[in-house]
Amino acid sequence: MRDKIKELLTANYPDIDFESSTELVDSGVLSSFIVVNIISLFTVEFGVTIPYEEIIPENFNSLDAMASLVEKLQ
Amino acid sequence: MTYVSLNFIFFLAAFFLLFFMVPGTRLKQAVVLAGNIFFYYFAGGIQGLFVILFISLVTYVASRIMGRIYEPYDKEIEGLDYKAKMALFASYKKKTKLILIPGIILIIGFLVFGKAFRLTGIEAPAMLSPFLMPLGLSYYALSSTGYMLDVFWKKTKPETNPIYLILCVSYFPAIVEGPINKYSKLITEFKGLKGFSYEPFCRGLQRVLWGFFKKLVIADRLSLYTSVVYKDPGAYAGFEIIIAVILGAIQLYTDFSGCIDIGIGISEAIGVKMPENFNQPFFAKSAAEFWRRWHISLGDWFKEYISMPLAVNQKVIGVSMKIRKLLGGGRRSVQFSGSFIPLMSVWILTGLWHGTGLDYLVWGLYWGVLFLLESVFAPDFSALYKKAGIDEKSFGFKFYLMARTFIFFCIGRMFTVAGSLTGFAIMFKRMFLLNPWVLFDGSLYTHGLDRKNFYTVLFAVILLFIIDLKKEEKKDIRGLLAAQPRVFRWLCLYMLIFTVAVFGIYGPGFQASDFVYRGF
Repeated sequence: MRDKIKELLTANYPDIDFESSTELVDSGVLSSFIVVNIISLFTVEFGVTIPYEEIIPENFNSLDAMASLVEKLQ
Repeated sequence: MTYVSLNFIFFLAAFFLLFFMVPGTRLKQAVVLAGNIFFYYFAGGIQGLFVILFISLVTYVASRIMGRIYEPYDKEIEGLDYKAKMALFASYKKKTKLILIPGIILIIGFLVFGKAFRLTGIEAPAMLSPFLMPLGLSYYALSSTGYMLDVFWKKTKPETNPIYLILCVSYFPAIVEGPINKYSKLITEFKGLKGFSYEPFCRGLQRVLWGFFKKLVIADRLSLYTSVVYKDPGAYAGFEIIIAVILGAIQLYTDFSGCIDIGIGISEAIGVKMPENFNQPFFAKSAAEFWRRWHISLGDWFKEYISMPLAVNQKVIGVSMKIRKLLGGGRRSVQFSGSFIPLMSVWILTGLWHGTGLDYLVWGLYWGVLFLLESVFAPDFSALYKKAGIDEKSFGFKFYLMARTFIFFCIGRMFTVAGSLTGFAIMFKRMFLLNPWVLFDGSLYTHGLDRKNFYTVLFAVILLFIIDLKKEEKKDIRGLLAAQPRVFRWLCLYMLIFTVAVFGIYGPGFQASDFVYRGF
């Protein structure tokens, strides 16, 4: 799952190095605008419904966190 | 009474004296409540106090009932797996929604009702008009709605004592222009009110003084020029308009952030922390970054309560999918379709929050489109810069991005300052007429701001720029001042007080003009 997410995000955001940080949201690399897009991508690509309560920085701060969120919801 | 009046200074002195004299948290809370009522009575009128009471009670009752509905939930989720928990929570949300929605309708309805009268120009019945758009409604309506939504999403537990909600809604350091507080945090601050502490008190007063400087020495002085040009843009051209637009941007920044400095400073002095609303916005290098630095609490509110809920809404995602298919499914279409609805909804609402005319709607759409273009084409721009051999980390390039963002802001501001879209068109068109001689023949000094005042404001803006630059470098200005010898510290403070007293722009009875954002 982690690799699939990395591939998906890198294809859409080639300028962002998703591997390098575990504070993607906290450090401002991922703006709320990008998070909104990632939610849409996950819904479309993995068929998951992300509840509003899960839209917290901890779930988007790293590839591992995003992978575990998607796995949890699948 | 406004923040920038002599009466307010006397009120503030009495408030501080009383606040620090009374013992215990409860009595201090009572002093804050009395201060809120006293300030509001003289600043917003008694009718507005009834609106505050009404909004506070709606927020309290709705959040308490939602809390009651959620009571068995915590026991029922024990032992359930993640999916079962989410399903149970969804079923509970269905029930609490029956309380939440009427609560929101009552509060936001009040706001919309007042704004509708402004939009249509219909004169409200005399009995009703004092209750429409009372002072601060645009700010506390959002905070109250946010609090109910926090309870609905179980981000916070509902407060059991209604007095705390009345304290939050009526809190005078935030009532004029915000910041838009999160009540769950503000309540915690009120519950921890303590006695006098020299450092926060001093830091708070320094910030209040800095706010007065921004408002009285810069903003109100600049308005002498901008108000003349904005009033009749058809009578001016070229550099006269360009200068008005640039000065108008600085005026709005110093007016709004000055008011926020006064509010946050007062709050800091009594040990109540409020969220920051500005972070040197004119150092922003993109539209998105600008709005993360300007009116931060409003941006956070829209992000948390509008944009994110829309982003996870299945119907919105369905429509986004259709847009994506329509556009072909490439990288750009994925980014465009994913954020189009949440973003444009936020910006249309932001526009309507600021004002009800078509000009504000267009202003909102303008920023929405800028955001979209910036986001969707960011990698393309980056590739273009690389190809052209431009170093994106160089000072020159960063300066270009800052200047570009400032120009975006100025153009956006032109939509609303001209009073109508026709006014904007006139202003925009006439801005390109060439008249460089006005910069040298002295005619600029005949539009409300004479040569002496031009130089005064120039000096003040340079001082503001230096302070903002130091803040941008993460320097704690007030901390640096505190580390200086006492004589130097007091000299600086006396100089600032002297500057505000001598160079401030005062109207009749030492009453300064109203804050721009107070009107929202």
